[in-house]
Amino acid sequence: MDHIRAQARRSPLFVWFAKHGAIWPVIGLLALWQLACLAGLVPPRLLPSPAAVALRLAHDLLDPGFLFHIGQTLIRLFSGFFLALALGLCLGIAMAQGAEPFLTPLVRVASPIPKIALYPALVLLLGFGHASKIALVVADAVFPLMLATLHGLRSVPPKLVWAAQAAGASRSTVVLTVKLPSALGPILTGCRIALVIACLNVFLAEMISSSDGLGHLLVTAARSYQVVDMFVPLVLISLIGLLLNASLQFARRRLPIAS
Amino acid sequence: MKQGPPRFSALRQVWRRNWRTVLACAALLLIWQAAALWLKREELPSAWETLRDVPVILSSGEDVLGILASLRRMALGFGLGLLVAVPLGLAMGRSKPLARLLNPLTALAYPIPKAALMPIIMLWLGIGDLSKVLVIFMGVSLPLLYHSSQGAEQVDDKLIWSAQAMGMGQVARLLRVILPAALPEVMLGCRVAVSIALITMISSEMIARQNGAGNLLFNAMDMAIYTDVYAVILIIAVIGVVLDVLMERLRVALTHWADTLQPGSTS
Repeated sequence: MDHIRAQARRSPLFVWFAKHGAIWPVIGLLALWQLACLAGLVPPRLLPSPAAVALRLAHDLLDPGFLFHIGQTLIRLFSGFFLALALGLCLGIAMAQGAEPFLTPLVRVASPIPKIALYPALVLLLGFGHASKIALVVADAVFPLMLATLHGLRSVPPKLVWAAQAAGASRSTVVLTVKLPSALGPILTGCRIALVIACLNVFLAEMISSSDGLGHLLVTAARSYQVVDMFVPLVLISLIGLLLNASLQFARRRLPIAS
Repeated sequence: MKQGPPRFSALRQVWRRNWRTVLACAALLLIWQAAALWLKREELPSAWETLRDVPVILSSGEDVLGILASLRRMALGFGLGLLVAVPLGLAMGRSKPLARLLNPLTALAYPIPKAALMPIIMLWLGIGDLSKVLVIFMGVSLPLLYHSSQGAEQVDDKLIWSAQAMGMGQVARLLRVILPAALPEVMLGCRVAVSIALITMISSEMIARQNGAGNLLFNAMDMAIYTDVYAVILIIAVIGVVLDVLMERLRVALTHWADTLQPGSTS
């Protein structure tokens, strides 16, 4: 009996659970939710069971029509994020290289503005398609990326810069080959924040006005009171956010960078 | 900072401290004006036209009441967050089991778009204020929980031991020792939470269009009164900037002692 237990302890599943103790509260919550639904404590018309949502999600993921909506959301998400990343890197570098006195007051005024309020104006200017949603993502995600870049460039050890300068590197070479690589840690943290912001903004924009995408699916399901179909896009966008967050965390741990 | 001679008037002091911000606002408005004049599109009224429209909106009783109703919901949600999430966060920071239980759940809740829960919550609680307040509460709770627990974790154990030795109960310790000691971190959380409250308020009103500032935007858009759309955006933007400045002032006023202990933590 004992050796069976010992063997079970060495099984990869057990090791995984032991290492990821954080999974238990989540499992507990899902189990409570499922039990409450099974016991009939909540009407399924208002709150579907997690099993029902998971089944519908698995079913939808095989449906090409559903995949099209996921694709639309992901296109907006990633093009917005990468544009914001490019812009944020440029502005962050500019700030670190001496534009800070001009840019800091602008950032201080522009960053507390709720960007989602700009969305109607973006729709007026850029239309209901991809462009207005991508612009919204850029407007909101650029700030954490810019500030993370600035913070990262600031915390580069001066010795590295001096060494490169002593070796005859020009200003732009120092930025590109010394400063940016050693600022990678803070920049990746900025990316994590910006990706979650991008997910939220794309989804909300699609809910407010769109004819496709996951947010639009939630709104159409809400109009016909299909509560399971309302949960599916919400769960999926949250899973996308979690997945992106976790993969960047993983990348950060794997890359040879100082934290 | 060097103390100026007393002959400087108060107005001049304000100008000296804020001229960069004022210039930044002016620069943004000028860029907007130039873009409008250059593009000459009906969908982009000039900054000047929009600014002239702001007093018109602010003198209409209905619109002002809508914005005030929005702000009231926001204050309620934020206050509820303070009452629930801050004590819970402080307790999380001092109790390992509680943190181990709640941290995974908050990490899971982090990427959920809170305003997107609006249709589901409206199914449960109806279309009234309660749903909107609840959504704002959920939005502000996460940063408050996170920062409160971070703050409580950093509190010096000796402070708590002394309070314990003096015979303080658990609740008294939490409120009279841990909360003041964790206040700088809690106030950081409050600043983040206020901006999230505003975002959640606007987006939930844009999704469930009943009344309020978010609804005002789309009403103007549906009627194709474009200057109104931009004027409401401008009003919301000013509310956002003013709330942020006020929160920052409050933070400095309440926790300036901490800033002097750790130079460089501000800015």
